Amino acid sequence: MPVIDVVNLSKSFGKKVVLDGVNLSVEEGESLVVMGGSGSGKTVLLRCILGLFQPDAGHVTIEGKVVQDLDREHLSEVRKSIGMCFQMAALFDSMSVEENVGFALMRHTHMTLAERAARVEECLNMVGLKDTQKLRPSELSGGMKRRVGFARAIALKPRILLFDEPTTGLDPVMTDVIGRIILDLKAQMGVTSITITHDLKSAFEIADRIAMLFRGKCLAVQKPEDFKANPHPVIQQFLRGDAEGPFLEDPPPPARDPHRTPHPQAIPRNLP
Amino acid sequence: MSLSLLERLGAAILDTITETGDFVTVSGRSFISIFKPPFDGRRLLYQLSAVGVNSIPVVVLTSMAVSMVFAVQLSYGFKQFQAEGLAGQVEGLAVVRELAPVITGLMMAGRVGSAMAAELGTMVVTEQIDALECLATDPVQFLFVPRLLASAVMLPLLTGIAIYVGYLGGYTLLVGVQGQSAYVYGQDFYKLISFRDLVIACTKALVFGLIISLVGCWRGYRTRGGAEGVGNAPTSSVVTSSLWILIADFFLTKLLLV
Repeated sequence: MPVIDVVNLSKSFGKKVVLDGVNLSVEEGESLVVMGGSGSGKTVLLRCILGLFQPDAGHVTIEGKVVQDLDREHLSEVRKSIGMCFQMAALFDSMSVEENVGFALMRHTHMTLAERAARVEECLNMVGLKDTQKLRPSELSGGMKRRVGFARAIALKPRILLFDEPTTGLDPVMTDVIGRIILDLKAQMGVTSITITHDLKSAFEIADRIAMLFRGKCLAVQKPEDFKANPHPVIQQFLRGDAEGPFLEDPPPPARDPHRTPHPQAIPRNLP
Repeated sequence: MSLSLLERLGAAILDTITETGDFVTVSGRSFISIFKPPFDGRRLLYQLSAVGVNSIPVVVLTSMAVSMVFAVQLSYGFKQFQAEGLAGQVEGLAVVRELAPVITGLMMAGRVGSAMAAELGTMVVTEQIDALECLATDPVQFLFVPRLLASAVMLPLLTGIAIYVGYLGGYTLLVGVQGQSAYVYGQDFYKLISFRDLVIACTKALVFGLIISLVGCWRGYRTRGGAEGVGNAPTSSVVTSSLWILIADFFLTKLLLV
């Protein structure tokens, strides 16, 4: 039985159809990477999985429980087994790093202060942070915030981890670091995970299978090597990172014109 | 044209009904959440300090100003028919029954309610509320309950302070400036009021506290959009809660004085 099963999920906002009958399933211990252009409904998919959005049609089951049918208390129980890493980390800015990471421990466990501090330190070490407990989120860099977000998500030892664009906006080195942390977490905790990313390099590193969302539909769910060889023009264009192709149609991308007339005041490129 | 006008009217009515329903649901959820564990004493203490202790200077200043101005008007008004002696009595009546609770309520709507709306609104747009949900924590319980309890406890206490400061304001003006007897003022201030009036004042303050915290939190919680939404949340929270404070004041006065 798949751990996460997305069945025929549809969601629209007004007239804009974001998800249109998406089917996905993730087996235990598997790492699924979801790719797709901006606005293709990846984040909405994660939010539906977490029960933050109510889909218009279809449902999501997590470990056999239909998320959309659960009341708040049962949904909370399901959410305790899920760690969610937000795109912009979404740290509580009124709390220190330690309070952020220990938040779920404080709310849902009966740990003593010392046990909690130890677990917080352990989680921070797992994401490669040290001696940051007393800092405030405003004192952290973007990469550090993401990692604190990871540490907060893994504090309760979840069985499922969801990453929403964990590397967007980070430099290439930090992107690689985050990719490694995700692999480490997967190896150490044996979690089932869904990662949303645009970053091809880390996607192929992390993924057991890759799914491609395009205009609310799921184009393919394949192993990385099969995905690379998939002849679908949208997938090939996405992998090439080229503006020309079926990916953007309305409005079309700006034309590539080698003979653009420079602005009259433009400074010539080849100064002596 | 007429159809679109009708349509717009209908949409506005539907919106109002939806919003009212949502407010009532969220308020109900927050009242129920008060009795659900885990209980967060530390956050409650923090809110008691933020809502109550930090508001004392504002309440003292406004209550002093309003009570002094009111005393000036009273002594001028009663002088018209040589009844300056009544000024102290009416001052007491007005301060205890109306001025102290209403002024405190309105000031707190501006100081505390708007802060709640801005804080929760920012948390919404930075996904912190979603993060709370994902950490299996009900945002209504975690954020609303401490603010609700703190306002319900602190507003009556602040009103108490406002009444005392109002007494001093009247004293300063009527005894210090107009030269009335301090002993007579001390007797007169309490002449027309009874213990029941203090209960009325506290009831009003309690209701205002509930209005301020629930409207402030709800407006913040339902913030949509980015910076503009966060900017609108405190404004509409202050306007809505001030309006409801005045409406509630009228009906409470009518009901409780009968």
